[in-house]
Amino acid sequence: MRGVPGVLVRSAAFVVVAATMLFPLFWMLASSLKTPQELQASPPVWIPAAPSLEAFAQVFEVAPFARAFLNSVTIAGGTTLGILLTSIMAGYVFAKHRFAGRDALFGVVLATMFLPPIVMLVPLFRIVEAMGLVDTYAGAMLPFLANAFGIFLMRQFIAGIPDELIESARIDGASEWTILWRIVVPLLGPAVAALAIFAFVFHWNAFLWPLTVLQSEEMHTVVLALNRLVSYTSAIRFQNVVMAGAAIAIVPNVLLFLAMQRTFIAGIASTGVKG
Amino acid sequence: MRRTQRAWTAILLSPGLGLLLAFVVAPIALTAWISLHEWSMFTPLGDWTFVGFDNYRELADSRTFRIALRNTLLYAGLSLLAIVPLALGLGMLLFGGMGRASTALRAIVFVPYMIPTIAVAIIWGYLYSPLYGPLNQLLRIVGLPRQAWLGSVDTAMLSLVILNVWQTVGYYTVLVIAGLTQIPTVYYEAATIDGANALQRIWHVTLPLLRRTLLFVVVIAIINTVQVFEPVYVLTQGGPANATNVLSFQIYKSAFEFGLAGQASAMAFVLFLVLAAAVVVVMRLLRDPTAGSA
Repeated sequence: MRGVPGVLVRSAAFVVVAATMLFPLFWMLASSLKTPQELQASPPVWIPAAPSLEAFAQVFEVAPFARAFLNSVTIAGGTTLGILLTSIMAGYVFAKHRFAGRDALFGVVLATMFLPPIVMLVPLFRIVEAMGLVDTYAGAMLPFLANAFGIFLMRQFIAGIPDELIESARIDGASEWTILWRIVVPLLGPAVAALAIFAFVFHWNAFLWPLTVLQSEEMHTVVLALNRLVSYTSAIRFQNVVMAGAAIAIVPNVLLFLAMQRTFIAGIASTGVKG
Repeated sequence: MRRTQRAWTAILLSPGLGLLLAFVVAPIALTAWISLHEWSMFTPLGDWTFVGFDNYRELADSRTFRIALRNTLLYAGLSLLAIVPLALGLGMLLFGGMGRASTALRAIVFVPYMIPTIAVAIIWGYLYSPLYGPLNQLLRIVGLPRQAWLGSVDTAMLSLVILNVWQTVGYYTVLVIAGLTQIPTVYYEAATIDGANALQRIWHVTLPLLRRTLLFVVVIAIINTVQVFEPVYVLTQGGPANATNVLSFQIYKSAFEFGLAGQASAMAFVLFLVLAAAVVVVMRLLRDPTAGSA
């Protein structure tokens, strides 16, 4: 499609797509600023007459959101660190070490990427329970400190580093440990950043496992607190509080995304192209 | 030298592989093993009774299980039907240029994928509210009848699919765009010289060369959709009248509400088999017929 009609069609499509994608987020924000009277109007009010931030304060009174933030940062942050460590180490071996059965082993690792957690939820819970880790940070993190996606991503990027670089360091007498952290990792900047964001966002958003393993309210993550908020306040006149809670829960991820957009999208794209 | 190299291979691999072994491989094997037993969630590990395939026989007779299996496939199928064409269309729209507007729209389309599914479900639950939500109001403005959305057997599943498409289509679009950047422009130029119009270029150049990308999109979408849990848990609890009861929700209920670890594991293993079968079938169907072994 060339020329003026093409540009018009394209522009119209852009507007429709943007409006569709943004509308639910607009509704969330607008509703979080409405009064209970406005919420109970039918047909609904779109723009609050006198926007009020009161609902945002109420969120912290109804559910322990502040504590939940601390829990989420700890769990998502700790899990991310673990994933980075295990993925870089294993990714390096799969990319640069030669040993019998390497590719078969890598195939098995990749296959675990396709297993949904729900399939192993029962044994996973009973294992963590037997370890005495129910309702602890360790229990929330331990099963997810290594993942196939991270190992795959690191292997892809490390494979792109020239062998000569590693060989010459070996000849200079550097240990594998030194080579990995002093030579390989500094060259992985954007890839490590991408994996870190993926992991953090994924574990910030996690629901099924935290719901299963974190039982007391003071251990709840932001997502669990949000879930609790809904069950406390399902009446329509409290929707401003629920929407304020949702807005608070998505803020860290949206900010992270806006700040690191390029890295993030390039990282996602690389998983589809290579492999 | 050789030996220390071997030692490093083992040292660097063991944390990652050890964790995967303990928390992915062992649990999936245990799921299969537990599914052959009668076991309560409230008795210790090992304190179970072997019952052979009884749990599976019970599943075959269970109407609820059949409904949950059918609903899971329906949800995955409907989601795929919407996601693949939409991601292709959006990918081509965004790949085509318009500079900054294109970059901004890419970000806008992708943002919902970053949001916790619980938050997405809550927001859409409100949008769908028959009396207080904006969707029925919009329908009335364009002259369409109001819908019960999540409240009706006929529309509840579709409502969950729409929510999922909104949340995830940006992710698949990014994959499609990445695939499009891999297609050399000379192919398009050659096709144009041969007199191909825009549609013919899409059909004969873009789609065949996107085969691998589409395969990836379909496989990931199947994996993501067969495990749908959060929207069902938050919005419908499987209702109305089991219309949105999916396997993952039924597994969770069996295990953590009824304490039936054996039965839950049998369902989980069926879900695993369904997923594996679906992925294999898709790989076969979409595999490049001209390619060699891989």
